[in-house]
Amino acid sequence: MIKASVEPWIEAPLQQFVDDAGVVLALLLHPSGQVMGQYGFTRAMDVMSACALAAAIHLSSSELGMQLEGKPFTGLHHAGKDRQVFIAETETRRGPYILLTVFDGESSLGLVRMFFDEFRVNLANAAPVPVPAPHPMLNENFERELNRNLAVLFGRA
Amino acid sequence: MSLVNYQTREITSKIVYYGPGRSGKTTNLHTIYSQVPDDRKGKMVSLATQTDRTLFFDFLPLDLGSISGFTTRFQLYTVPGQVYYHATRKLVLQGADGVVFVADSQARQLQENIESFQDLHQNLSEQGVEPRGIPLVLQYNKQDLPPDLILTTKELSDAINFRGVPEFPADALHGPGVFETLRGISELVLKRLSAGASR
Repeated sequence: MIKASVEPWIEAPLQQFVDDAGVVLALLLHPSGQVMGQYGFTRAMDVMSACALAAAIHLSSSELGMQLEGKPFTGLHHAGKDRQVFIAETETRRGPYILLTVFDGESSLGLVRMFFDEFRVNLANAAPVPVPAPHPMLNENFERELNRNLAVLFGRA
Repeated sequence: MSLVNYQTREITSKIVYYGPGRSGKTTNLHTIYSQVPDDRKGKMVSLATQTDRTLFFDFLPLDLGSISGFTTRFQLYTVPGQVYYHATRKLVLQGADGVVFVADSQARQLQENIESFQDLHQNLSEQGVEPRGIPLVLQYNKQDLPPDLILTTKELSDAINFRGVPEFPADALHGPGVFETLRGISELVLKRLSAGASR
């Protein structure tokens, strides 16, 4: 099952992709590097690092495509010894997102690409019309909590 | 673009350390990394050249703990400062919720500071971000150097801080000012998020 998603509409398409394609890890992120949904990671910190690197890979390969062919590369595949990585962009009415997925011998590039095409359609259909997101109501004295937490973090408490 | 997950009550924000080459952006992250306990930080990722200059970015995920019931995490990025990495800076700046501008206090670096600050404003504008609206703090780094080599905080403030944003003298290599800078930008980012002014 999907362990975490920032917005509920992402869960079903991502879960279906994971089940159908038989991948080990899946990460849907915003091009700025923010995670939108993930499967298979155990530490939030690892998710953030993977997102930062995936966004960087995607953006730099897009730029490389622009320089070489005048249009961005929108997908990338790397075959390692045991595991393979596939990164590709998908478009929704909420804007573009990037899927990073890792798979092993239980799946294949062909399967991943086939089910990614389905995922793109499912995600686009599931994406609601953008509405202004409510902002979190932080306590009036949240600065005190912030200062306390930072002091603890830096061993100053 | 801060992300707020109401199901799990999590806030994730992106903070970018910006500034001219060799001003101490990566050093800030190294100092934070060295002081924070292992269970509150992720791996520090550095995409650097063989001479240790930042090639793409440095990245450090940080867990600030619970604030108003929200688990709050910051993603700290640096950009490469060298002029010829302009395209990379634009990419890393995308979606930033707050910016720390790290200025080099050395008198001979003043022009580089000013040009980098202008570059920041230009890049924000090109991304449709109002430069005067985004949370920003200034850090005047290398204040530990001999006084005859550096400008004072007031001199740097007069030259760069025309917006009157929070400013912090620092010695990032040894630690002073690093914590205060992070606290300053954290407050601004969370205040803006809470006020609903975030993009």
